[in-house]
Amino acid sequence: MSAIAGGCQCGAVRFRAEALGRASICHCRMCQKAFGAFFGPLVTAKGLTWTRGEPSRFASSNVVRRGFCDRCGTPLTYEYEGGIEIAIGALDDPELAPPAIQVNPADKLSFFETLHALPWRLPGESAAVDAFVASVESRQHPDRDTETWPPEAQA
Amino acid sequence: MSRFAVLPIEMSGGCQCGAVRYHATRFTDNAHLCHCRMCQKAVGNLFAALVGAPKDAVTWTRGTPARFRSSAHVDRGYCRDCGTPLFYDNLEGDRISFTIGSLDEPVRFKPRTHEGIEGRMPWFFELDAINEGHATEFESEDWAAAIKASSRQHPDHDTDVWPAAGEASR
Repeated sequence: MSAIAGGCQCGAVRFRAEALGRASICHCRMCQKAFGAFFGPLVTAKGLTWTRGEPSRFASSNVVRRGFCDRCGTPLTYEYEGGIEIAIGALDDPELAPPAIQVNPADKLSFFETLHALPWRLPGESAAVDAFVASVESRQHPDRDTETWPPEAQA
Repeated sequence: MSRFAVLPIEMSGGCQCGAVRYHATRFTDNAHLCHCRMCQKAVGNLFAALVGAPKDAVTWTRGTPARFRSSAHVDRGYCRDCGTPLFYDNLEGDRISFTIGSLDEPVRFKPRTHEGIEGRMPWFFELDAINEGHATEFESEDWAAAIKASSRQHPDHDTDVWPAAGEASR
C-alpha cells in the first residue's frame, strides 16, 4: 500500500492520511494571503495523523484555523467543522491530488488564465543561474518518511 | 547588478495575520512562477509566485519575519504567528523575492516567465480549464457571511494599529 504522506519543508511536521477527497484551488483573497500565492491548493484528508510534530494554527476567522510549521513556515492545513484539508504542495507526491474544482471565482486574479502560456526559462539559458542551482545543497526534508530528521550532520 | 529592469511600483505587503508588514519603493521586472520542488514545498503549493525587490528598497514596517535556511544560500521568510510564506532571499544577492500573494495588490505583478520546469505538475496546463464550482461548502451564504464577519486577515493596505481595537480578544 502506498502511503499518503507529507509535511513541511524543514521536516519538523509530518503527516499521514488514509485517503484523499476532492482537490480544489480556492481563489479567495484569504487563501491567497495565507499561502502568499495566487490561490489556495487544498485537498480533503481523511484519517489524518501527525507522525512528527504538529502544526501551529492561526484562526483566520471564527470558523477556520490554518495550520503551518512554525519552524519553516510551510502552510499545511485548512481546518473547519466539516473536516481538514491539506495543502497539496505539502504532500510528498502532489500529483496524487490534481485539482478537480475551482472555488471563489470572484477573487480570481485577472491573469490566472494566462499563466499556462508564459515562456519557460530552461537550463542552459543562463550560466549564472545554472551555477547557482548546481551549488544548492538542499535542507528540505525528502519526499518520503524518515526515521530521524534532520540527519546528524545537519542538526 | 540585477539582470532585470526596475519597476517604479511602490507597494506594501505582509502576512495574513498582519504581524509582519513590509514596504518596497520599487520592484524588479521579474515576476515569475517557480515550479521547483523546493518552492512547492516551502509554500505548500503547486508553484511559488515571486517578484523581486532591490534589498535597499525594502523596509520592514511591522514585526520581523522568521527565516528558514532551506539551503546554504537561501532563506525562506514567513510569519511565525500565522505561517504566511513571505519571501525567497538569496543571501548573496542584491534582491529579495516576495511571494506575490502577500503583496497588497498582487494583480499588478503579472508573471512573465515559468522557472523550475523539472518540478511542474503534469496537469498544470489544465488548471485554468477545471470546473468553476459554485455549490460548494466554501460558497454557502452562511459560511461566507460567517467568514466575512469574523475575518482576522490584515486588510490590503497599511494600518496604524493592528489588530484593530477589540480584535485581540477574539
